[in-house]
Amino acid sequence: MADRNVCIVGAGMDRWGVREASIIDMAQEAAKDCFDDVPALKKDDIDGLIFASSYCGRSAFQVNAAPVVAERIGIKPTSICTRVDTLCAGGSSGIIMATGLIKAGMADVVMVSGGEKLYTPQRWETYYSEMASIDHDWDGAQGMGLPPPFFSMTAQDHMKRYGTTKEQLSAVSVKNRRNGANNPKAQFQKAVTIEEVINARAVVPPLGLFDCTPITDGCAAVILVSEDKAKELTDRPLVYIRGTAQASLHSMSMNWLGEDLSDWVHLRTAAKKAFERARVSPEDVDVAQTHDCFTISEIIEMEDLGFCRKGEGGAFVESGQNDFGGKVPVNTDGGLLSCGHPFGATGIRQAMEIFFQLQGRAINQAKDAKIGLTHNLSGLNVEHTILIYGREP
Amino acid sequence: MPVPGVPILEGLYPSTLDMYPFEAKEFNRVHQFYENLRENRFTTTKCTKCGTVSFPPRVVCPKCNSDSLEWVDLPTKGKVLRFTEELAGVPLGFESPLIHARIELEDGRKLISRVINCKEGQLKEGDTVKLAVYDVPPMIIEKRGGVMEEAPRVFFAFEPVK
Repeated sequence: MADRNVCIVGAGMDRWGVREASIIDMAQEAAKDCFDDVPALKKDDIDGLIFASSYCGRSAFQVNAAPVVAERIGIKPTSICTRVDTLCAGGSSGIIMATGLIKAGMADVVMVSGGEKLYTPQRWETYYSEMASIDHDWDGAQGMGLPPPFFSMTAQDHMKRYGTTKEQLSAVSVKNRRNGANNPKAQFQKAVTIEEVINARAVVPPLGLFDCTPITDGCAAVILVSEDKAKELTDRPLVYIRGTAQASLHSMSMNWLGEDLSDWVHLRTAAKKAFERARVSPEDVDVAQTHDCFTISEIIEMEDLGFCRKGEGGAFVESGQNDFGGKVPVNTDGGLLSCGHPFGATGIRQAMEIFFQLQGRAINQAKDAKIGLTHNLSGLNVEHTILIYGREP
Repeated sequence: MPVPGVPILEGLYPSTLDMYPFEAKEFNRVHQFYENLRENRFTTTKCTKCGTVSFPPRVVCPKCNSDSLEWVDLPTKGKVLRFTEELAGVPLGFESPLIHARIELEDGRKLISRVINCKEGQLKEGDTVKLAVYDVPPMIIEKRGGVMEEAPRVFFAFEPVK
């Protein structure tokens, strides 16, 4: 059988933030929002579930969570029913895997769902578990699980090497918080001024409170189908997965490949492959959701994704080239800085926003968006994941 | 005020919540790394077939798949490239100031490590630091007959050279 083209036909998420709900509750809420988005889809049509969650084993004492989610949301997968863990990119990994299965004819209609319940009854446990999120025996035991120190050093490297300023870091936060202000699902729905960002309480200098994504509870879900099935299910414009890549070139901090921490070789490696697979170049991207776990991350991502030259990310964001009216609007739904970051759900939330953008029904709509990109980095910057979507296959 | 916690776990050792590695030889084939740390040696494995030196230590060479490896010493001194100091909100298990540094060892390898025995505001970029080995709580291993044995442990950080 020839490879099939794969489309997203539905997407949804619950309200993100500090939730009085379990992960299984939120998975149901996200699935409902997703089912509501594609009314022609019957639950019996779904033959696959991929559930992305990294912390459910720790914060819900639930491993093999996929059958639990499938049962609670009322589906009976017969082709695939599994959980994936890529920390911050888990949802994107799920979409990549579902795409491959559908493309190859090994599944037909797959829900990719994911999320985390990170706020535990005692707050220490949330932070303590982060030591499991990175190379535990070597970097974790050094207390590097909480990423602000690592990204502080990353920002220091970028500032010293290229002259990037605190104002330029802050510009990312101002844009993303403004984009999130009208997103009813975001954890933070309040714009901030550049003065507020610059003068905010320091987390780890130069990073302050508004430079960092918060801790978030939340879930999200999308439905992936073959092109033929998509045409049966929806009259909306089709949104295709055009190309993907996921690069992991090291794990422990000693094996970092870049010249300094602002040199993201693994992102450039993933970007090259994703653009080749999608048969487009960075100039073709009309809208992007990139992993703004910290403001410095979005600046470096603009460079190493190829939207601007290396070292010019600070000027690129300060002049609004990553905003509406600029070269490529980025994090149009508010990104991690507004929406929050329940790890396994984030890639799905990004896919949902690109899906809405390419169908012309996003809350903050980019003009004539035909090619969209999502990007995640995982853990202590050990892995980069990119998906490129298009209105054509 | 003490809280009840999980009564059935009282006095037990939940290893899945242990922030340090399972270093004991019953659980770890690179336990020699920690034995060497006790002698203030910072070591790793070198492949006797292809010569590749890997860190962290391995049981199989990641380059040629040989399982014939030997222990070699890495430098115990380096210089600070970048560092951060966390004063407030330090996570459980660590004390303020929690200092992390990216350190270039004398052989050019770079790693991120804690810097201990160092006051707030004391460290500067370019400072020389050296390996600092410290005791961490033991693992508890259940032996035959339900006997609980404590396996002592050490871990490493770096500290300023006075």
